[in-house]
Amino acid sequence: MRILIVEDDVSGAEVMTRGLSDAGHACRVCHDGAAGLEAARAGGFDVLIVDRMMPCLDGVGLVEALRRDGDETPILFLSALGEIEDRVTGLRAGADDYLVKPYAFAELIARVEALSRRRETGSVLTQLRVGDLEMDLIARRVFRAGREIDLQPREFQLLEFLMRHAGQAVTRTMLLEKVWEYHFDPQTNVIDVHISRLRSKIDKGFEHPMLETIRGAGYRLDA
Amino acid sequence: MPDERDAPAAGLLRLFRAAPFRLTLLSLALFAFAGSAFMAYVYIAATGEAHRRTDAEIRREAESLVEVYNRAGVAALNPVLVSRMAGERRFVYLLLDRDGRKVSGSLAESPAEGFTGAPTWVRFFLSGQDPQGRPLSTPARGFQQRLSGGEILFVGADTGDDRDFVVTIVRGLWGAGALVVVLGITAGLLVSRNFTRAMTGLTNVVAAARNGDLTARAAVRGAGDELDRLAEGLNDMLDRLDRSMSAHRHAGDAIAHDLRSPLTRLKARLETALLDIEAGRGDARQALRQALEDTDGVLRTFSAVLAISRLQAAGEAPNAVVFDPAGVVGDMTELYGPLCEDKGLEIGSDIAAGLTVRGNPAFVAQALANLVDNAVKYTPQGGAVMVRLRRRACGDTEISVTDTGPGVPHHDRDRVVGRFVRLENSRNLPGAGLGLSLVAAVAQAHGGRLELGEGPGVYDGSGPGLRAALILPAIS
Repeated sequence: MRILIVEDDVSGAEVMTRGLSDAGHACRVCHDGAAGLEAARAGGFDVLIVDRMMPCLDGVGLVEALRRDGDETPILFLSALGEIEDRVTGLRAGADDYLVKPYAFAELIARVEALSRRRETGSVLTQLRVGDLEMDLIARRVFRAGREIDLQPREFQLLEFLMRHAGQAVTRTMLLEKVWEYHFDPQTNVIDVHISRLRSKIDKGFEHPMLETIRGAGYRLDA
Repeated sequence: MPDERDAPAAGLLRLFRAAPFRLTLLSLALFAFAGSAFMAYVYIAATGEAHRRTDAEIRREAESLVEVYNRAGVAALNPVLVSRMAGERRFVYLLLDRDGRKVSGSLAESPAEGFTGAPTWVRFFLSGQDPQGRPLSTPARGFQQRLSGGEILFVGADTGDDRDFVVTIVRGLWGAGALVVVLGITAGLLVSRNFTRAMTGLTNVVAAARNGDLTARAAVRGAGDELDRLAEGLNDMLDRLDRSMSAHRHAGDAIAHDLRSPLTRLKARLETALLDIEAGRGDARQALRQALEDTDGVLRTFSAVLAISRLQAAGEAPNAVVFDPAGVVGDMTELYGPLCEDKGLEIGSDIAAGLTVRGNPAFVAQALANLVDNAVKYTPQGGAVMVRLRRRACGDTEISVTDTGPGVPHHDRDRVVGRFVRLENSRNLPGAGLGLSLVAAVAQAHGGRLELGEGPGVYDGSGPGLRAALILPAIS
């Protein structure tokens, strides 16, 4: 994936570049908003990572300018401002996701990959399929290897999100945000328990486990 | 304040410059204008009335004379005229015969020039002498008519008395006007002195606040007027400002105090890891992993402290909306359900429908999550957690979490809400000790409170449990 990083913190950008390159992505860095806007307009990026507070042109201005141009490239906002209202203004400006500094690196990678996936699956799906796991979004039924799996509504939503991001790491915070739609850090392992219940339903009795735990990051559903 | 104690002249000048005094002057000017118009009207009306009165008297006099004439002719009229001229009456008379020659009267000739025979009113001047012998000319009016025998009778009267009457009225009005102006200025000075005094109090408080002293408060005089409301508003604003400033100070202190120890620990761990690597012994990876965990802890603490401080400083829930808390309560119960079951705890909920509260749903959710989190953390296996949403009789909304854990002793309940307080028996459990502080901050920002009480009691070796209730006030 080609990623444009617009971040005025030079060493922060460097660490980010190294990590994303290790994960197999090509990165380009701009250190202020104006240069970032120029690079973004030149095009050719799959995801933009934009810091909120920057010299010349701040992140909100950059995102707004791009969206006015009709540029729909997915954008991840980085910000030290973590209050709910800050998040709302960031997303309202046109960013697709919002990550508060300091963040775990696994969280950043997971969200960047989730964003690139979002663009690919723009069309309305009625059915999801990962390996021998099938989900009928209309009838709200799930089958693995032809055997129906009975899920609670929340488990269904959880699995749907995991299936839509199959092959990618998703973090606990992402799950709380996207499945429960709450933005806070649960203090204990509440999400883990939900995952292990889901896992016992979709993996139990099958030879090949699909739902893995990734240490220090979160979970991944693989075919 | 030096500018309150300077020379009286300057004080007087300030008084003259005060807004109410200027308003007084303006209203006096308006009053003077209206007064002049009123006086002009009175003058005109009074003059007209006086003339009408004189005319009526002249007419009555003339009628009485005509009556004498009609009864007994000119021979009878003549002596009556002469006798009346001699009396102390205000009238002048002239009787002319058919040919226009004077028969008798106090005038030499008729003031009515070009008399055609129709009854005529005239305005003329009477010449005479004042008591000092100086010539005097007074305005007069008269009525001339032809009698049935052809003679001409003129009856007149001087109107000087009428003018005196009007002049007296006008003079009285002027005097009253002058009195009003003097009283008005005095009242204006008094009012503006009071106003200026009140304003000076307010200005001094503002000046003090500008110089960083947030303890000064404006005096509320108890009159309940705009100035009192302004003073109350100012005091309220200063209260909030003061609270927010001290909350910030507190937050700074708390952060400095409570981040220092984990940061020191982190530094030590990193130093040890570095020494280990240099000496080629031990597994540095383990130390780094531990350091990362420590860092996460520090960051979580930092976020929590920041959230609490911002809530306390704002003094109100940001982006507040009116919403039904049942959704939030249901979500949190559902979110924690599996965790409870895994820990061997029973979780139940009793959620009233159709309640509304005003606030920020995300903060309320987080507060409730903290309460459930605590309950799950401190309740031993086999216990129960109950989440309840209900409306109290007074209209407040109560979201409570009751557990069957050890509870919090009565004397510790105020303390556990404070920052970073963790009771002795919880030292080995994870958490920064900010959970309840955040709940309290959320409650306070919503105009509510956090109540801690006893759970269901001691049973089978466990208990008495804790009942933590987030009270949100009824929407007014």
